[in-house]
Amino acid sequence: MKKFKNLKFVRAIGFNRVVLICVIFLLYLLFAVLTPVLHGGASFVKVERIFSAMNYAYFLGFLALGVTFVISTGGIDFSIGPVMFASALISGYCLTQYHAPLWLCLIISLIVGSLFGLLNGYFVAYRFLPSFVTSLASIEIAKGIGSVFTKTQSVTWPTAGSENSWYKNLVRAGNVPTGLILLIIAAVICGIVLNKTKAGRYMLCIGSNKEAVRLSGVNTKKWEMIAYVICGLLAGCAAIFYVGAYTTVQPGLGDNFNNDAIAACVMGGTSMAGGVASILGTVIGTMIMSLMQEGILAMGFTISYQYVISGIIVLIAVTADTLSRKRKV
Amino acid sequence: MGEIILTMKDIDKTFPGVHALDHVSLDVKKGEVLALMGENGAGKSTLMKVLTGIYKKDSGTITYEGREIEFKNPHEAQEAGIVIVHQELNMIGHLTVAQNIFIGREPLNGGLIDDAKMNRDAKKLFEKLKIEIDPTEKMNLLTIGKQQMCEIAKAISRNAKLIIFDEPSAALTDAEIEQLFTIIRDLREQQLGIIYISHRMDEIKKITDRVTVMRDGCNVGTLITKDCTKDDIINMMIGHVIYAAPKTESHVKPGTPVVLKAEHINAGRMVRDVSFELHKGEILGFSGLMGAGRTETARAIFGADARESGDIYINGEKVKITRPEEAVSAGLSYLSEDRKQFGLALKKSIVENSTLTCLPKFCRRQFIDKKKEKEVTQKYVDMLQLKTPGVDQLVINLSGGNQQKVVIGKWLIGDADILIFDEPTRGIDVGAKEEIYELMNRLADEGKSIIMISSELAEILRMSDRIIVMCEGKITGELDIAEATQAKIMNLATMRN
Repeated sequence: MKKFKNLKFVRAIGFNRVVLICVIFLLYLLFAVLTPVLHGGASFVKVERIFSAMNYAYFLGFLALGVTFVISTGGIDFSIGPVMFASALISGYCLTQYHAPLWLCLIISLIVGSLFGLLNGYFVAYRFLPSFVTSLASIEIAKGIGSVFTKTQSVTWPTAGSENSWYKNLVRAGNVPTGLILLIIAAVICGIVLNKTKAGRYMLCIGSNKEAVRLSGVNTKKWEMIAYVICGLLAGCAAIFYVGAYTTVQPGLGDNFNNDAIAACVMGGTSMAGGVASILGTVIGTMIMSLMQEGILAMGFTISYQYVISGIIVLIAVTADTLSRKRKV
Repeated sequence: MGEIILTMKDIDKTFPGVHALDHVSLDVKKGEVLALMGENGAGKSTLMKVLTGIYKKDSGTITYEGREIEFKNPHEAQEAGIVIVHQELNMIGHLTVAQNIFIGREPLNGGLIDDAKMNRDAKKLFEKLKIEIDPTEKMNLLTIGKQQMCEIAKAISRNAKLIIFDEPSAALTDAEIEQLFTIIRDLREQQLGIIYISHRMDEIKKITDRVTVMRDGCNVGTLITKDCTKDDIINMMIGHVIYAAPKTESHVKPGTPVVLKAEHINAGRMVRDVSFELHKGEILGFSGLMGAGRTETARAIFGADARESGDIYINGEKVKITRPEEAVSAGLSYLSEDRKQFGLALKKSIVENSTLTCLPKFCRRQFIDKKKEKEVTQKYVDMLQLKTPGVDQLVINLSGGNQQKVVIGKWLIGDADILIFDEPTRGIDVGAKEEIYELMNRLADEGKSIIMISSELAEILRMSDRIIVMCEGKITGELDIAEATQAKIMNLATMRN
């Protein structure tokens, strides 16, 4: 075991992550065996199943990547789901009702997300509000604005094949999983920002000890706020991939994705206490969450089971994180 | 004075690297006030913590009311009638006085809290103690002095037989202190045992019957208060130990330019009209007792805490410092006394901590040049003789002395010209201490200017070119190293004005 832990590639990506990758395969195997048994001979081993799981992974991945930045500063943002929906609703409404050009609408989506990030970040960093309070407020604001803007109507983006539907290619172009490619690119960029730039360094150090960073002469408020803005921006991106996969958005929803995103993040080795984060872990965590929800549906259970499971995962992952830190100190 | 209520005999306690209590004995009689005195770190608090069960003693016996006891926690001690009235009060601000006094044992009436009875009982209690406080008042509307009296009342209501006052007067006005003394005399009448910890000589003379003096974890003797002078006590506190190589004269030549000038700095109760100058290449010692306002002064100058008034000049030019960022870019640095809370990101590596003060120097555009960062950090790790398997080691895994070196290294890499060292050798072993002293001398020789805040007189006398002594937020005196003695410093440090 110790020998395995010392292998070069294991050390490079972390033992934790290797275990998680194994979990993906085990889960797949589990679903492949159980689905026909539980759901009258239905098959789980199909390309369409993978694409379907991936559809979930794309937008969830962007949400989880964003929230990784916030968690690494020691904060939390569980308004990302509703913010993603608000972005999709507002930009979609501009597209369908005001006939704004598609490219502009995609940008609007990013802007809406970023503004919510700015709102959260400002009150956390400059007004010293606890991040969970700003999250609670943002959830309500995001849901409310989404509803008000669309007059409580659901918004259906152009379906595949119709005019203005090229945005669908961002998710899947024929049999090319463009969404996966874009998610990987985004993850690489996030990894670089978090690990190789000044911004990422400051965010992680703020998560470890904000006061020490402030006394080192760093403008901690600014960098803390930027983490929330990045999170919001990525929620805006997530909105595009959500409609790319599912087309229709309803107002007043979105909270159920918060938990999944945070679960993906924490499972991947990002510490809820801040200071330690892994982008690769977040991506793998996203895959696990997506596979899980696909499997649960395939086995004929309702999606409500997924909520139970992701809730339990958060509890287990955070407990494990707390325990491992206790041992070290 | 009656029979003995508490005897502590041969109490011994060792922490890693520190012999905190070296066979200390002490006794308290019913109906007396015993003063417990000593410099910071002499072991007074440790002894009281052993008594009340916060620390476990290594050896020795505690006899209380004729029985040998060992409390597992402060709660047990309280049940037995031993109560500490802390300098910082443990009151809940938004509850009423009566609710605070009866917290945890509220009188019930049909399952609900009987507030009326609570208020009546509190009132009776106050009458007995001749304290004038309305039991229905919210605690946070009372002055600190009144809050303290509530704390005493709470102790009495729990049938306290031995009350320990830990620097009770630090936050009180003169009138409040008088009132406190009236209560203490009253308690003495009622045959309670009282231990009074304080640094203030005049109070000791006024209120106590005997004085037990501690130094370096030992009990150096007990005096009858009315038979001794203030100087007797000071002499016992500082002892006649010869410390390693005290500086005999200042290394700063007359006419050396002033690099930092603070004028009329005010920040809260702990920094009152502080003005001083720091010369190039000087080590300026800030001495004083715990709570004298030295750390607060440093933080106010560094912009870590808000300043009400006062100007700061660096190299003769007035600078605006309201935030640490501005202080750092003006060439100031501040090594906190509490490195874990204020100095280090413990979950991060040595490199990541070291370059925190000047990360932009290691960046091309936004990207960190990790190779350069490591090289430079390695250079400082070698220079500071920091013992670590590598610069990627997490700071949390280092020893206290090595952690302190990371904090020092971080400011040296930042190339600050003015270094404020706040208790630079606290909690680190002797070997590392020597290295840090050497380093400070070397830095001063190289032209860096250093403010060293220290509670250890030996350290102050050994390192400083000049010494500023503070007491209760004010500078009470300035001594050149040539004329400074422990007795002079202690006199200034206990000088109330």
